[in-house]
Amino acid sequence: MKTLIRNHFTIFALVSCFNIFCCFSAHAQLSVGIEGGYNKNHLVTNNSNRAFTNYGPLSGFGVGIPIQYKVNDWFAIATDPSFVQKNYNQQRSAFFVGVYQDNTNGYIQLPLMGHFMFGGSRLKGFLNAGLYGGYWLSGNVKGVMPNILDIAPDGTATGSIYNYQNPYSFNEKYTFNNEKDNRIEAGWVGGLGMGYDVGPRYQVFAEGRLLYAFTDQQKNYMTNQVPRYNTTYGINAGILVHLKNASSNN
Amino acid sequence: MKRKRLLIIPVVLVIFFISSCRKDFKNVEKPENYIGNSFGDVFDAFWNGMNNNYVFWSIDTTKWDNMYKIYKPVFAGLDITKTADVQKSVQYFRAMTDGLVDSHYNLSFASPIADSSISPAYDRKLKAGILRPAYVFYDYDAKYYLDSPYVHGQDAINVSNGDTTEAIAGTIKGNILYLGFNKFGLKNAYNAADNGVKSVLQFFINYLRNPPPGFKGVIIDVRGNGGGDISDLNFLVGNLISNKLTIGYTRYKSGDGRLDYTPWAPAIVTPQTGAKAVTVPMVVLTDIWTVSMAELTAMAIHTLPNGHIVGERTWGANGPLTNNEILNGGQFTAANFLFAYTSSSMFKYIDGNIYEGKGFPPDYDVPFNLNAFRTTGDTQLAKALSLMP
Repeated sequence: MKTLIRNHFTIFALVSCFNIFCCFSAHAQLSVGIEGGYNKNHLVTNNSNRAFTNYGPLSGFGVGIPIQYKVNDWFAIATDPSFVQKNYNQQRSAFFVGVYQDNTNGYIQLPLMGHFMFGGSRLKGFLNAGLYGGYWLSGNVKGVMPNILDIAPDGTATGSIYNYQNPYSFNEKYTFNNEKDNRIEAGWVGGLGMGYDVGPRYQVFAEGRLLYAFTDQQKNYMTNQVPRYNTTYGINAGILVHLKNASSNN
Repeated sequence: MKRKRLLIIPVVLVIFFISSCRKDFKNVEKPENYIGNSFGDVFDAFWNGMNNNYVFWSIDTTKWDNMYKIYKPVFAGLDITKTADVQKSVQYFRAMTDGLVDSHYNLSFASPIADSSISPAYDRKLKAGILRPAYVFYDYDAKYYLDSPYVHGQDAINVSNGDTTEAIAGTIKGNILYLGFNKFGLKNAYNAADNGVKSVLQFFINYLRNPPPGFKGVIIDVRGNGGGDISDLNFLVGNLISNKLTIGYTRYKSGDGRLDYTPWAPAIVTPQTGAKAVTVPMVVLTDIWTVSMAELTAMAIHTLPNGHIVGERTWGANGPLTNNEILNGGQFTAANFLFAYTSSSMFKYIDGNIYEGKGFPPDYDVPFNLNAFRTTGDTQLAKALSLMP
């Protein structure tokens, strides 16, 4: 874990140095805005040994404050401190249909990206690529499970687990486990989008974004541990306000 | 042209990003899928089976990763074709598991060591000098304490694990209801065709539903009772209550990780149709051989304001069991070499404590002593009778 934190710190330090270097650039423009969007998160893991049990993606949302520091007409340094949900579920099938758990997880994260622009003068395409660091802020679990000590009343039906054990519905805050849960997340971020300048000061934009965690959701607390990674696909839209106009290289 | 070339950089970076930095996903095999053609294979099946299926890792003090480091090379040095090595493996399995808190836990083996088994809870009690032979007392109590006639019967049809259910019900001093039985298979017996246990239960239930004037109390004797069918919780305790009763909470595994758990679900006893709440004192007689469902029954009655436990601390095996695939955890077969009998869920009592491995303490501690029993009779039952008004 210490090594992981050290590596992340090194990466952030390098990106920060690059950022400072860019600050000395004479031709610069700072933009700040707001964005929000929809996402779908997949928990990438392997539980093939479990009977009739699968993980699936769940929808979520994200909101953020995009900040861009335009270095020249085709490149900017970008970040957007944001709150992003990374939700997933686990559901069972066949005899166990109706057994599920939806995990709703909230992360605060800070990406640092290169923002590459291309295209026309008002309508521009862009591509973001960089790293993000995040913190698993909150969790909630909601679902239904068979209750082994709430025996179902006698009946003739035998097609479901709930014919034997009554269902227990739950919807509660997830209690983090310090031994197991890795609340620090880091990963790659990439995005592809379009921006449109509405006058000299505003730009509206839409972006498809991929968040690809390379840190396990779990600490390395047991031998032969199967890792769990978040992969999040999102669509964001927002508006940027150009705070400082600078001379253009166009 | 230069700008177009520069755009290649982020594209290459994105491709690089999504193709790197994650650990490999090894398949977690089901322990029964291992072939077992070497002790290395058997060890992997067992160690991983425990790693992924044992439900008590959050409270267990066994350092399972240490067991991997210590015993993987040890097992690798054994030859599965040599009988001496096969026999020697039992002592290694015993050493690996001797601290496990699960008091249901039992390892049984295939031929040629089918006569071997490992029970950490049994071994611990033996080592502590607190183990004695298991007795049932209902036949003695029937002879010396119960009013005549009492009802005695066996269910030889609904046999589980080779054991026949046996029960006795009757009254003491005319107005104290007594039920004693050796295992939980009561509902099956009651719902089956005529059998002796059904007659006992009919007497017991009819008495509860139509108590005579001056009804003073109920004594349920689960000493020497090894547990059994979990549906008897509703069947037996559900005949003593008229409203749902929450006695604690259970949780089970939600994933392969040692600390992957579901939320705690309330453990609920549902009253039987037509049951009346018993308002007179109810006493459950327990001893060190009160195990599993017998413990849960005592604990359930103990949650009632008029419920008491007299006797000894119970065995300490509270986690309900079912097949592995039902709750994605618990018992499993490893490489056709051994069977690990272990709980599928963890039970937490209504007071917030987990009594797994500890046993549930009686309200009135009356230790069993064979010599005293021979001279003064059933002192535990006598204490129970003293609690009746």
